Amino acid sequence: MCGIVGYIGRREATPLLMQGLKRLEYRGYDSFGIATMGSDINLFKKRGRISDSESDAVALAGYVGIGHTRWATHGEPSDINSHPHTDCSGRIALVHNGVIENYAELKKQLVGRGHRFASETDTEVIAHLIEEHYNGDLREAVEKTLPLLKGSYALLVIAADDQRIIAARDCSPLVLGIGDGELFAASDMMPLLEHTERIVFMEDGDIAEITAGEVAIYCDGARVERPVELVNWCVEDVRKGGFAHYMQKEIFEQPQAFYETIKAGLDDHVADMIKNASEITLVACGTSYHTALIFKYLAESLCNIPIRVEVGSEFKYYPPPLKGLVIAVSQSGETADTLAALKMAKVHGCSTLAITNVQGSTVTRIADRTLLMRAGPEIGVAATKSYTAQLAALMELLDARCEGAFADVLSHAHLAIGEVLLRDIQQAVALCKGAEHVFFVGRGPFYPVSMEGALKMKEISYIHAEGYAAGELKHGPFALLTEQTPVIAVCPPGSTYGVMVSNIKEMKARRAPIIALGTDGDKELEEIVDVFIPLPDTHPLVQVLTASVVLQLLSYHTACALQRDVDKPRNLAKSVTVE
Amino acid sequence: MVQAVILAAGEGNRLRPLTRSRPKAMIPVANRPIIEYVINALLENGIRDITVVVGYRKEHVIRYLNQLDVPIQVVVQERQLGTAHALKCAESEISGDFLLLPGDNYINAESIARIRNERNAMLVKEHPNPSNFGVVVIRNGWVRSIIEKPEDAPAFTVSTGIYSFNPDVFDYLQSNELPDVIMSMLESDERIRAIPADDWQDAIYSWDLLKMNGRMLKGIAPQSGGTISSGVTLRGLVRIGKGTTIGPNTVIYGPAIIGDDCEIAPNCVIMPDTSIGSRVEIEPFTSVKDSLIMDDVRIGSHSRIVEAVIGQGCVLGDHTTTHPEETFFEAGDGVIRAEFGAVLGDGIRAAPFTTFKNCVVGNNVIIKGGRVVLGLIEDGARVM
Repeated sequence: MCGIVGYIGRREATPLLMQGLKRLEYRGYDSFGIATMGSDINLFKKRGRISDSESDAVALAGYVGIGHTRWATHGEPSDINSHPHTDCSGRIALVHNGVIENYAELKKQLVGRGHRFASETDTEVIAHLIEEHYNGDLREAVEKTLPLLKGSYALLVIAADDQRIIAARDCSPLVLGIGDGELFAASDMMPLLEHTERIVFMEDGDIAEITAGEVAIYCDGARVERPVELVNWCVEDVRKGGFAHYMQKEIFEQPQAFYETIKAGLDDHVADMIKNASEITLVACGTSYHTALIFKYLAESLCNIPIRVEVGSEFKYYPPPLKGLVIAVSQSGETADTLAALKMAKVHGCSTLAITNVQGSTVTRIADRTLLMRAGPEIGVAATKSYTAQLAALMELLDARCEGAFADVLSHAHLAIGEVLLRDIQQAVALCKGAEHVFFVGRGPFYPVSMEGALKMKEISYIHAEGYAAGELKHGPFALLTEQTPVIAVCPPGSTYGVMVSNIKEMKARRAPIIALGTDGDKELEEIVDVFIPLPDTHPLVQVLTASVVLQLLSYHTACALQRDVDKPRNLAKSVTVE
Repeated sequence: MVQAVILAAGEGNRLRPLTRSRPKAMIPVANRPIIEYVINALLENGIRDITVVVGYRKEHVIRYLNQLDVPIQVVVQERQLGTAHALKCAESEISGDFLLLPGDNYINAESIARIRNERNAMLVKEHPNPSNFGVVVIRNGWVRSIIEKPEDAPAFTVSTGIYSFNPDVFDYLQSNELPDVIMSMLESDERIRAIPADDWQDAIYSWDLLKMNGRMLKGIAPQSGGTISSGVTLRGLVRIGKGTTIGPNTVIYGPAIIGDDCEIAPNCVIMPDTSIGSRVEIEPFTSVKDSLIMDDVRIGSHSRIVEAVIGQGCVLGDHTTTHPEETFFEAGDGVIRAEFGAVLGDGIRAAPFTTFKNCVVGNNVIIKGGRVVLGLIEDGARVM
């Protein structure tokens, strides 16, 4: 996790770094810090989030600088543990995203050789190692240090009296933005978009020597060329505008995210991959895991193909026997567990496909092929439009496998999503906001939809929520039902409708308040439940989408009613780049 | 530096069913939301410090404003209590003289140039049916009084709702409605100049959008961004968006606009004063004339669409006809005479061989085969 930024050019570095860090806050917000090079190295670091007053008040001089926003892994959030970290002399400063696995051993050796450590972090060992190797050439010192490190890193290093930033990456993301006589570096494209659209994606093992005029990249000691890519995201997409929260903005961008992803379609290679697959394994984490499960339910019943869905963090340690097509689903394209799983699939000789929202992200470099979803940048920590765009991408695969049987349904699905965004759900919010526990239940594809609903509720409203297969509730959780535990039941028409209604009556008999999502005009359901939220009468594929969006609205408005920090829920960060 | 406040919080409920998912200011006319014409007129006058008051369906408005090139301040009016209340919501953004404009009327740049340097003034315009507006009594170029929607109008001069104010106006905001505020200013011997507008258009009822659409189409910039088959006839002012395909032998007479990613089949006829949104599909042998068709609409083959407003996502079967006629409609407490083909809300599904005869059909109405639809149909109704 964590986000890093660097700047070198003709402008004062501090405001640019602070602004860049704010754009990266979604990656972590325990603490932050910057270092600039004036006549010497200047440092500012602080526990907590970047507030507006601070971003104005911090005034370190210099046209070269680096910055960091932290999601703590080694050492608690504190001023001392915040990056940048320095060597003993304070003449070398660096920021780091990743984890150094052998830091304890390195630290012991360094202390033995007389180095003094200020913090509890793994990162500080890098600063001292570079100090040992430094003979006036910073790049050389970094090059000699990196082989000693085990783990993952994206690094930006500066040294007093050296007008350069040295950048290095291995297994953590780092991109460079090329401006007009100035250069930017960051963990991802977000901070760069407002300055340039020319982006260079560094690869694992690369070391970059960055000056104001140019960037030289080295790999294994030899100069290499990395292509400059033009990025089509625009700055407006990362502005909140008049919305109260990014999450609200992103919820309302979903019709477009869905439509754009469908419109972009599949390239022939990806279409062939999916048509020829004998079995498919999907690897994903968090919200992406839920979209993968929805795909499993839909594709197994609609195209009769065996599908397995694995959680990335489990897959790595307990890999199942692998063959066929392996699809990695990751919004950011940087999810460490998913990447590790994908690498393993390649070792087993599987063909691999990545579904991601971020052009040029690490997952696109590992997988054989990429299906890019078109959600645009997502800033809110809780996934909303990236979830919908993932479903669009997966449904597109489904459609290709079924020879275009759903093309018409998918090309008009965004209208139904727009329709449910108009729903007034205040009654349901009133039921949820006072509850300590909430259950979400559904059957078939609506089971993972319920799991996702519960995840959203947990992560932004901090209400304990569980997503269950409706039939499973009787096997234990029924003991928890009281009149204070609302149950949200997704109950669209279809083969499971009758049994869902029976389940709802059983829960009702335990006096649990029921919020039901059903098809518009379903009077029978409306009569037996406490709150009825109608979904447009559409194809079942589209009902998966509309039900999900209603559940997002429910979590969002509940979190607002409880005055939670919706965009930055406690303890979380958006892309999980550590395992 | 003159600032501007645009009011876009109100629903505009006389334009129902078209205002269900968007306020009146966001209704597309010649494929641009009405508020965009207001913003452009300000920008042409070099006024870039713009605040928009949003309320009803605010997410829709904010999303649109965010993707404009100019940064725009947004202020939320939580409950739509009135125009003066909306202005009060924007008070914190105002630091000097400012213009106040409704976001749901068309105004041109020349009109704004006439009022931008005044300190207390309103733009007025002659109108043949003044009873729907605030009628302004003027003497020697100064406003004497303003009478809201009178049955017997004493004059044909109406308020456009466009004012230039100095910050003193905030002292008079005791009422929630602007005309009351103007009256209390006049009673306190504040002088308000009346300045004739150059070009100003309002759509009171949904069918008035057709006239506004025709007017706005005269100002479009021609472009052919899509794939236009050989044998297509284009004549006059025609704008075609990117990703749109036009099939062989189709005839398009401008002024007409077609948005992005549309599919216009072979052998269609698009006649003047027609705007077609994005992702619209029109099947073969269909003709469209004097109509405003919003995004994601599908119209089946052999249809004849005349003087119709068609809301987003309508799916009309083949052989659909709209038939212009003049009838009487209930509006508020009175009855008005109107001549047009049809006004269809969003998401209407009509089976083949449906005829719409001078009717206003609510959102998400479903119409089964071969019906003639007349009068007013409520949202969500099923016509069997």
